[in-house]
Amino acid sequence: MTWIRHSDFYLEEFLSASPPPPEDSAASGTRGGHGVSPSPEQARNYWHWWRRAPSYPLIWFILFWRKMISPLYGEVCGFYPSCSAYGLEAVTVHGLVRGSVLTGWRILRCNPFTGGGVDHIPASSRVWPEQELPPIVKLNHPPIPRDPD
Amino acid sequence: MAFLDTIMWPFSWAVSFILSLWHNVLGLLGLPEESGLNWALSIVLLVLVIRIILIPLFVRQIKSQRGMQIVQPELQKLQAKYKGKKDPVSRQAMVSEQQALFKKHKVNPFMTCLPILAQMPIFLALFWCLNRIGGGIGWGTTDTDYQAEGYFALSPSEVVSFAESRLLSVGMPDTFLGAVQGDPGLMGGTVAVIALTATMIVLMVSTQFFTQKQLMSKNMSEAALQGQFAQTQKMMLYVLPLVFVFGGVYFPVGVLIYWTATNFWTMGQQWWVIRNNPTPGSLAEKELNLRRAAKGLPPVGEDARKAREEAAKPKGEHKGQTSQPKKKKKKKKKGQR
Repeated sequence: MTWIRHSDFYLEEFLSASPPPPEDSAASGTRGGHGVSPSPEQARNYWHWWRRAPSYPLIWFILFWRKMISPLYGEVCGFYPSCSAYGLEAVTVHGLVRGSVLTGWRILRCNPFTGGGVDHIPASSRVWPEQELPPIVKLNHPPIPRDPD
Repeated sequence: MAFLDTIMWPFSWAVSFILSLWHNVLGLLGLPEESGLNWALSIVLLVLVIRIILIPLFVRQIKSQRGMQIVQPELQKLQAKYKGKKDPVSRQAMVSEQQALFKKHKVNPFMTCLPILAQMPIFLALFWCLNRIGGGIGWGTTDTDYQAEGYFALSPSEVVSFAESRLLSVGMPDTFLGAVQGDPGLMGGTVAVIALTATMIVLMVSTQFFTQKQLMSKNMSEAALQGQFAQTQKMMLYVLPLVFVFGGVYFPVGVLIYWTATNFWTMGQQWWVIRNNPTPGSLAEKELNLRRAAKGLPPVGEDARKAREEAAKPKGEHKGQTSQPKKKKKKKKKGQR
């Protein structure tokens, strides 16, 4: 099984190259506990569910917001990713507490005086099996194609 | 209304404070305290203070507009790069590159309307002030008797003086609509109020229109006169005067004085900017360079850039064979073999 780190999306080669390099867990083997394929004990360990659980109400709220309320006023955020996309990724990868603080700080910065720009979430140390990677992470970090010249 | 009042508290206070200050200063200079001229001049001086404070905001607005024009060709290149790519990943990549581009050139779409938005609280504070102290029934009025209690920084006697002051026999809180509907609180005669407010509305709207027209005909580069940005500007040209015609009938005389004065300031400010610091590639810049040429000064802006590029171009002249550096013969020092 292939594991993907959140920090993989911040690598220099990812930011410039077209296809995202699938990061093999062999490279991240030093990170404790994540083998190439988790052992049956690990598969039966539900700790990571419990750890993520507190952030889910907020994640659902942001998903609802993005689905129902954001379309009402269109694209108004001066930043990339937009505030709601930032918030969703922040809470997903950093958890409830750090994610909320990051999101709050971003919303405060989203005003006419800062002038926007590209502003990504700080890289987290979280890892996912490839098929469990949250869609928002992929959405917020699209590979930038090379300029034609 | 209570919620809006809370937000407006600092603005109401600042406006009434500045008004009271100028009213006292003008009183010391010999203008009668109760005269409408004193209060009208106080409002004009309030405009002066507000607009001086807002100058940095206008500088940022101008910089943002310039950046928008510089960024235009790069934006078109970006659109060509993502032409036909409609999948979400490509869309996201495009938005990301676009935002980076805006940031690089300090373009801020908010900046175009911020100077007008920033004046709104001040305008609203003055509007409420006049509506409330006049004792009429208009938007924002409450049950409080401001003539007895004072209005923020204005003392009760100042409130009475402001409300009772007359300019050409028309009271400061009088409105066009009030005159037409026969409001019993009207201070001036119906004809006088209609004549004065109508004149001021026309003055206010025409200065607004002329300023925007001048901006578009003189101070926008050819690239900016096409596309989305120009469309927005064109809408501003025709819609804003219309808004002010319909809004103007509700404005008390004092507010009409404020808005006309602020439009005159904008006109002067823009005249100065267009004359001395025009947008690169605009008609105003060509005129500036003609004036500079008459004085024997070198051109600035777009023409200067073209001249530099012309000078930097390879001329196609052959410079001839370059000679190899020759090795100098070393002098032998005495005693050396």
